[in-house]
Amino acid sequence: MIATTPLSRARTLFALAAVVLLFLSLCIGCREHNNFDKKPPAENTQKAAPLTLLMPAHGAYTGAYVDFGEGEDDVTYDALTAFEQMTGKHLAVIALGNFWGEQAFPAKTLAIISGYGAVPLLFWSPWDKPYEEERGPDRFNLPDILAGKWDAYIDQWAEEARAYGKPLLVAWGIEMNGTWFPWSGYYYGGDTVIGQKDGQPLYAGPELVKKAYRYVVDRVRAKKADNILWGFHVNNYGMPQEDWNSMGRYYPGANYVDWLGLSVYGKMKQDEGWADFHEMMEEPYREICRLDPRKPVFLAEWGVGEFPPDSKAAFITKAFTEIQAEYPRVRAAVYWHERWQNANESYSNLRINSSPEALEAYKTGVADPYWIDRPQFGPQKKAP
Amino acid sequence: MKNDPLQDPSPDDDSAVKSFIFLDARGKRWPRLRLYMFAAGTLFFIGAILFVQTLVLPSQLTLPPAVEQLKSRLKSLQSKKFHPRQMVTKPLWLNFAKGNKGGSGGVPPAEVRKPPAPAYKKETGSSGAFIKEIRLGFYETWDPDSFDSLKAHAESLTHLCPDWLTVEDGLGTLKISKEQPVLDLVKDQEIVLMPLLSNLGDQDQWQPEAVEGLINGPISRQNQFIARIKDELHKMDAGGVMIDWQQVDPAYRDAMTAFLHKMASALHEDAMELWLSVPTGKELAIFDLDGLAQQVDHFVAMLHDENAEDDDPGPIASREYFSGWVDTLVDGYGDPSQWIISLGSYGYDWTDGEQKAERINFQDAMSRAGSSSLATCDFSAPSYNPHFIYEDADAVHTIWFLDAVTFLNQLTLGRAHHVGGVAISRLGTEDPDIWNALEIDTRKPLGQKDRARLETITPGEAVARIGKGNLITIEDTRADGIRRISVDEKAEPGALLHENYEKFPSYLTVVHQGRGPADAVSLTFDDGPDAQWTPLILDILKERGVRATFFMVGANMEKSPDLVNRVINEGHMIGVHTYTHPNIALVSEERARLEFNATQRLLEAITGHSTVLFRPPYNADTNPHEPEEIIPIKIAQKMGYFTLTEDVDPEDWAKPGVATILERVKEGRLQGGNIVLLHDAGGDRKQTVAALPQIIDYLKARGDAILPLPGILGIPAEQIMPLVPQHQQHVTRIISGSGFRAIHQVTNFFWAFMIVATGLTILKTFVVSWLAIRSRRIGDAALLPWLASGVEYPPVSVLIAAYNEEKVIRETLLAVLHTRYPGLIEVVVVDDGSKDRTAKIVADMAQEDARIRLVRQVNRGKAVALQTGLKAIAHEIVVSLDADTQFTPETIGELVRPFADPAVGAVSGRARVGNPHTLFAQFQSLEYTCGFNLDRRAYHQLNCITVVPGAVSAHRVSAIQAAGGISTDTLAEDTDLTLSLHKCGFKIYYASQAIAWTEAPETMKTFAKQRFRWAFGTLQCLWKHRELLFNRKFMALGWFSLPSAWFFNIMLVATGSIIDALLLFSLIVSPANGILYFYFFIFLAADLLLAAVACRIEREPMRQIWLIWPMRFIYRPVLNYVVLKAIFKAFKGVWVGWGKLDRTASVTYRP
Repeated sequence: MIATTPLSRARTLFALAAVVLLFLSLCIGCREHNNFDKKPPAENTQKAAPLTLLMPAHGAYTGAYVDFGEGEDDVTYDALTAFEQMTGKHLAVIALGNFWGEQAFPAKTLAIISGYGAVPLLFWSPWDKPYEEERGPDRFNLPDILAGKWDAYIDQWAEEARAYGKPLLVAWGIEMNGTWFPWSGYYYGGDTVIGQKDGQPLYAGPELVKKAYRYVVDRVRAKKADNILWGFHVNNYGMPQEDWNSMGRYYPGANYVDWLGLSVYGKMKQDEGWADFHEMMEEPYREICRLDPRKPVFLAEWGVGEFPPDSKAAFITKAFTEIQAEYPRVRAAVYWHERWQNANESYSNLRINSSPEALEAYKTGVADPYWIDRPQFGPQKKAP
Repeated sequence: MKNDPLQDPSPDDDSAVKSFIFLDARGKRWPRLRLYMFAAGTLFFIGAILFVQTLVLPSQLTLPPAVEQLKSRLKSLQSKKFHPRQMVTKPLWLNFAKGNKGGSGGVPPAEVRKPPAPAYKKETGSSGAFIKEIRLGFYETWDPDSFDSLKAHAESLTHLCPDWLTVEDGLGTLKISKEQPVLDLVKDQEIVLMPLLSNLGDQDQWQPEAVEGLINGPISRQNQFIARIKDELHKMDAGGVMIDWQQVDPAYRDAMTAFLHKMASALHEDAMELWLSVPTGKELAIFDLDGLAQQVDHFVAMLHDENAEDDDPGPIASREYFSGWVDTLVDGYGDPSQWIISLGSYGYDWTDGEQKAERINFQDAMSRAGSSSLATCDFSAPSYNPHFIYEDADAVHTIWFLDAVTFLNQLTLGRAHHVGGVAISRLGTEDPDIWNALEIDTRKPLGQKDRARLETITPGEAVARIGKGNLITIEDTRADGIRRISVDEKAEPGALLHENYEKFPSYLTVVHQGRGPADAVSLTFDDGPDAQWTPLILDILKERGVRATFFMVGANMEKSPDLVNRVINEGHMIGVHTYTHPNIALVSEERARLEFNATQRLLEAITGHSTVLFRPPYNADTNPHEPEEIIPIKIAQKMGYFTLTEDVDPEDWAKPGVATILERVKEGRLQGGNIVLLHDAGGDRKQTVAALPQIIDYLKARGDAILPLPGILGIPAEQIMPLVPQHQQHVTRIISGSGFRAIHQVTNFFWAFMIVATGLTILKTFVVSWLAIRSRRIGDAALLPWLASGVEYPPVSVLIAAYNEEKVIRETLLAVLHTRYPGLIEVVVVDDGSKDRTAKIVADMAQEDARIRLVRQVNRGKAVALQTGLKAIAHEIVVSLDADTQFTPETIGELVRPFADPAVGAVSGRARVGNPHTLFAQFQSLEYTCGFNLDRRAYHQLNCITVVPGAVSAHRVSAIQAAGGISTDTLAEDTDLTLSLHKCGFKIYYASQAIAWTEAPETMKTFAKQRFRWAFGTLQCLWKHRELLFNRKFMALGWFSLPSAWFFNIMLVATGSIIDALLLFSLIVSPANGILYFYFFIFLAADLLLAAVACRIEREPMRQIWLIWPMRFIYRPVLNYVVLKAIFKAFKGVWVGWGKLDRTASVTYRP
């Protein structure tokens, strides 16, 4: 037939179009449906024994203070995630100031930190605004504390700490072996001998600091704030560097201390000399270890300024490798990430990103699996 | 009975009015029906009026008291005298001063490379005095005011410094944010581009490390960076770059100098310049200006921010600060012409108790002063900077600002030092009068004209802002302001202008309120509700205990009233987002009011609550700027609504990905936004649903309180969504409620009908096409050549009923007589009482050819004429044709051939339009092909042809008699007969080769007349033979072709235009509705497909199939009309005449 070709073409055309039309008509109302999980798996909410921070058998927690401003307490979730993005590692410990001048327990800030998935380390420092160093005792002076003038505040603080409920690292009266903070032994009679014990002289300054420390811890413990792990936190080297001012003189006793803390900084100011990590760590580490044979040691603060041509990167790298190799009792290291301007207009830039090289060194160092990026919690052991 | 053909027929027998289908003998049906229709119509009308009334009457919104309070809360404080801090230390600039002014210390070193004054492409200003003066504008990308200012004053600028380049980290990573419109403008206006290279990072944090890493870094890194900068500058066609590096450690001064030298040399190689932004203050220590003077082409002294955002309130550029720094810098370092002085023209609003001041523009300052009913603002020694203090609801604000007078004072001072140019910091915040000030010759005393120009402040189109928050109202009472200017000739150094604001200008002012606590944020969802997505979002919100605000579209509320109630019941707020989501700025005000009222009424009808909240579709940014953004807010305000804008916009509607949505929420939140805009409808919201839990988690993680809107605004929920007072609005609610329900039902029915119709159309297209193709294949092959069959040719009678056919009857007869049919034929013409010469013509032809016979009768209609004819014919097989139809020589043979089968009772030929000269005739031609003939070909396969057309057909006389003869009770006696033959069990054939050219009506009027007759007749026949419908004895007929006729030829045609119109209307009203396009596409595609198949099968030219689309919009409405008319007449039950065509004799015979 003549019409074979057009006809078969017609059939093909028709068949194709019919299929398309039928398909389209079937599609009406059949939009994609996706099943979204209605609920995330229920969290394990069973109330067991109160939890505490477990000390890793091997490795150490990585932590930082992330430039929280004047009061050292302006913690923002975004700053934490930005820091994490910069270093490539989550933080297990986040340090922050909690100064008595605020007269408040930082419940909201701690919620942000625990929400972020870290354990907070509070520097609970008894001083008043403006928080400037070298000013000497203020209204939160140790005698007043011991006289009970701030009991109400301490009690209130303790109750809120207990209500917080999660493990909390607290260091009261840090770096008391220096001269910059008002609670230092230096301001309270220093080397004045006030008695003898076991054939050793007792010095006025350290004794008062110790007494105040125990007083505060006792009051807080009386409120059953058992979630707190108390830290004895000294500067690596005393100032002045004399026997009366050595760290052992300030040690309040094993019952008052859950962890031993050290501040270990490299060069921070233009007029200081350069030192490497080993010099700053070795002796103080041995010394603090001698205070108690078992308690974990924290590098509660560490850091170094950027002063080319000296290599900040080398300092950082050495810190990471030496802690792992030579200081096995270190269970946490908290980097002090801050840049500030000094009175003479110069800057101290301790930030890990003060130079690309420093940042790279930090990233590389902390990437080692030795550095544990999330706190591990377990049931509290009953105190003996 | 044989009549003398020339004798006039006698008006004999037959009763005048015969019984016919649809006859309403008692005449009561119509009056009764009319009564019912009238009653129903009246009710509908009254209902509609009431409904519309509830929509159009202004809603009874009363502003909540809390809102009223907000409105009147700006109160003035006595402007206190500002006491500047005692300068205990020596002024900062003295740290950088070199010995005596103009002394040897200030003389530039001999080897200073004096940059040759560049020959700028254009000259500025009108006075020749400052032709060489550089005029640089600082431009900020994020601010639309900046671009507006640039556009308006491009002619006054020689250089532009946009904030486009940022060094992000110590590796020298470069962020570029150039904008094409600015590039185009700059090129067009011959402005030299000097983009800013800063180290200002995200969240407005300076990144000193970025610079330090670079200047202390390895040489390769520096070279790479410089090369990259050069490359970018070339791409922008820039004249160089402006360095603005802040907070860099001054310890790196030497490294900085070395690096800038290196960079300057590299730029000079390519004839580009390096400019340096020189800060005032301690920060200057980083720059060794003496060392840099040799390489840096221009220093730009930033002579403002004496007190900046982070400082305590104070002057931005006091006179002593300004002159002190100018003396120190311009006279002390480099050559004076090397210096460009950057003059501030903006303000700061310090709120007591807040850390950071708000940077404001001149208009904001004026508006804030004016709204606080301040009499004037302070302008006095020693600062000579205007400032004032005001108070809003809960805080004291201090504003310091710079204006055209301070600008002129500073300009005068700077020019006296012979500086190389002036920079304006910045475009978009300036007092517009600075542009006048720039043109003033500062060497002369201020002229009267210039002073007058500066004294009057005209608001123009500028928009001012007051307050903070996303609850927006607009105040638009524009009025000029006055400041009096006096000259203090004795002032040192140089003359000084004093100013006194006598009246603050008022601007179009956007009043922001309801900022809420800093850590509070609220979620809003626009465009819903949507049956698919809104429930998912509500589930997430419920699970996480978040209460949000939904800005709903009335049309969507109407679709899902249950969801609206669920939203309310779960504690969320609802606001109006209009009824159909138009751009309110672009519709008429009446339409806008209707959009608001209809949505409000619907909300009230569904929930019993009204709302005072509104969010404009498309324009919800927190800083309305364009008229398009302002207009909807004004309309809403006029109707008593509050506009809630947003300041966190992740643009989830564009489906950027879940991660991006979250990232944008973070960015918005970090910039202080607290009203998040998301969408729960308007497309696939899968990403929004996936992002929502993450957004909530993020906000909670950062310690934000996700509050319901009342918590942010400080307005109780019951004032935002008040209950509709029962006593007042009960009736209104019922009316609007039932009105919306009725619309809802009708819409639902419409959609259901659409879906069914689409489905059936596709199905029919499919079946008919398949059958037709099969018929074509089998049929053509099965038909044996006529002659070879050896059948004896039966004698045939040809019957023509004619009424007034004088124009065509002759041709028709000639064509019949020309047949090649070998058998015996006779031709009987029944003249149905024609009033013209038809009978005469036929009689004359009969004289010449004995095969023709003429029978006459008085006019009784075609059916009777055929009855008469049947009585007159001699043979068993009768071929009938219309008097306007021309046979081909083969037609009769082809028609007769199927009668070889004794079961065949009737054979349909293939009528084709013989006169496709007009568009209407072409439409019909296509319809004959695609509709009638294709259907017949298909139906033939199943023996269910519904009509053997009178135009070309053949019948067995015995079959006609068996079927009861030709009846006269319908207008379509051919359909009637066909259906009767089916009942008697005869086969009906379609002979596709039996072609007859018929004359189609050429005008719409004649076409409508013909089709009305057909439609009415078809309707009559379908009704008369209704027992065939879904009759098991006649499967194909009862279940396929007759239902098809009912549905496609009557129902769909009767409603087709309405559906088309509604579809088009819907497309216009909601152009985004994809499903509508789908239906439209389906209908058009089915039409075209059928046409294509039909033309292919019938071997007709393909090109005509495109006519099928105009047909839909021109031809179909006419058919629609006639079918409706036929239905109407059927109800009315009155007789309808033959309604015959005027013949035009336009069928040209085609052998």
